[in-house]
Amino acid sequence: MARPAFIGAGIHTVLGRGVAANVEALRAAPRPPQPVPVEFANQRETVPYQLLADEPQDHGDQRLWRVLENVIEEAFEAAALTPEQRRGAALFVGSSSFDISASEAAYRRDLENDPQALPLAVSSSLGNCANRIRHRFDLRGPDYSFNTACTASANAVLYADALIRAGIVKHALVVGIELFNVITAMGFYSLDLLTRGVMKPFDSERDGLALGETCAALVLGPCNADHQFQLLGGANLCDRHSISAANPDGSSVAQVMHQALMAANLHPANIAALKTHGTASLLNDEAETAGMRRVFDQALPPLCALKPFIGHTLGACGLGELILFCACADRNFLIGTPGVCVEKSDLGIVLNQQPSALLPADFMLNYFGFGGNNTSLVISNR
Amino acid sequence: MHIHTVGDYYDTPGDQPPDLKAQVKDATGQSVRRIGRFIQLALIGAGRCVGKATLPVETAVYFASGRGDMEITIEVMQQLFRDGVPPKPLSFINTVSNAACFYVAQSFSLEGRSSFICNRYFAFESALQLAMLDLESGVVDSALVGVVDAVVPPLSHHRQRLQLDARAPVADASHWLWLGREHNTGPGEILAVRHCADWSALMDWIAEKNLPQAHTQLSAGQFLKPSDGAALRDRWGFGNFEYRTPRAYHDSHSGAVISEFLHAENASQFLLHINGDDDGRYSLMLAGRH
Repeated sequence: MARPAFIGAGIHTVLGRGVAANVEALRAAPRPPQPVPVEFANQRETVPYQLLADEPQDHGDQRLWRVLENVIEEAFEAAALTPEQRRGAALFVGSSSFDISASEAAYRRDLENDPQALPLAVSSSLGNCANRIRHRFDLRGPDYSFNTACTASANAVLYADALIRAGIVKHALVVGIELFNVITAMGFYSLDLLTRGVMKPFDSERDGLALGETCAALVLGPCNADHQFQLLGGANLCDRHSISAANPDGSSVAQVMHQALMAANLHPANIAALKTHGTASLLNDEAETAGMRRVFDQALPPLCALKPFIGHTLGACGLGELILFCACADRNFLIGTPGVCVEKSDLGIVLNQQPSALLPADFMLNYFGFGGNNTSLVISNR
Repeated sequence: MHIHTVGDYYDTPGDQPPDLKAQVKDATGQSVRRIGRFIQLALIGAGRCVGKATLPVETAVYFASGRGDMEITIEVMQQLFRDGVPPKPLSFINTVSNAACFYVAQSFSLEGRSSFICNRYFAFESALQLAMLDLESGVVDSALVGVVDAVVPPLSHHRQRLQLDARAPVADASHWLWLGREHNTGPGEILAVRHCADWSALMDWIAEKNLPQAHTQLSAGQFLKPSDGAALRDRWGFGNFEYRTPRAYHDSHSGAVISEFLHAENASQFLLHINGDDDGRYSLMLAGRH
């Protein structure tokens, strides 16, 4: 079966609603996250967050569904699928938190009336987001929800592509979801991994990550235009070094990148640019740099990072960062992060500083997550 | 794809579930600390499946659940919203369901692909389908496929969350298969896993397969409407393979049926297992005995 292409995308991040708004914002410098109050029981903390633009928090459950529906509509509209094609599409959802924000809101409400109220009394299945999407958009194909931490929606893309190539479906909708929720906010607070300024991956002054919200949707299907992006190959591997970080010697990171290149039938020298995972945490950046060195040696391709702009969007970062990278590449530029990793840091690398010209080529995008899950995607718009 | 081995754990715990540490040690040969029951169940089932075998290091893990690790999520939510206590770092990390994949990989020294997949009605079937996809395309040669459902006591609360009757029996379950592209002395094979968008697609698929009526048994998934099951038996004349009585409720009964079929003394050569959801979609698995 022919290799599918990325034929329609939708996204909503801190940068704006819609692909065009996000791309426009990516031509400027990243901005710091805002301090967001996090309230739980009678406690209050402040956590830096890159919240969705133009979508105030309401601590209820409608915000998630509203944003998700709009993003999926944008993707479907761009893909111009017929109702019959939509019905036959497979659905892949990648997230770390799914609709936990809705469960949190319900539990908080119940606790106001009953201190013995049950958490997860509603929506206790991780598959419920997918069910809601299926019903709303009348999708009757198979559905799969991935919960592999920061690689979730990247893995969803990998399998959506594989299912189409195997001839099982003709189209697939991949969705990445990550909205603010107290568990995630306070979880990362407890891990002491948060920065209050702009994220500075690989920079000598890197001091942690800022969480971000994203909803993203991508339709895969038969190529219908020139220079549409396609997945050439990808790899996903388990890193047994630690449940919270990749092996700092870079071996496991290198292994997944090598496998992705092999799957794409490419050599390191073929990669015109690389989108890093770049969480600006000491452990990740060290491991990621070591891994890139093992694969590319001294000939690193131009490196870019998206988390300084939109924060770390966890399970949605695979798809969200893929969509943004491709959208910018479609407009012939590689994302730059002025002021972040300007000079060779203690890790010995630099990030692309200004939006710079980019021709159709082959690219690599990397993602590494909790639970030892590493994923690398090789894409092309040649 | 060839089924090398199968392994299962099934129990109906009470409000004080048994301590599983000894069973984890028994199944994997290792003591694993600071993990909850969901991960313990995964290790027990996977360990019983692997047994004394040495898995190839590149064996991929495909792990599913109807609801994931509810225990840790409930604990974290209560601590946060009821008690005002932020989660401990490891508790937070373990709320991500693929933490179980990590511990399985670590126990058996695996470095291959690793996925946690959830589907409300077809959790096991979905994981198996993705494993078959990778095996058939040659991306992997060896796959460990499993599903876990864990009771979170007290039972009354667990039943409420699962929207069951007040006295419905509930179970812990962990069901695993080790699959491979190479034939060995294993008991059977997975011949097909398919999703069907509606009844018509299901009928078309069965018709195309031309399964031998005398040598094929049909098993009904727990979410298949009884009327659908009856219609399938009437239409195709397959014998019935009963595996669900008296199984207590857990989300992924389908995870048990392959193993039960392979162990059954008088089972047919082929098993066609069909499950359904509330939207009129179907998922099927076709297995054969060696």
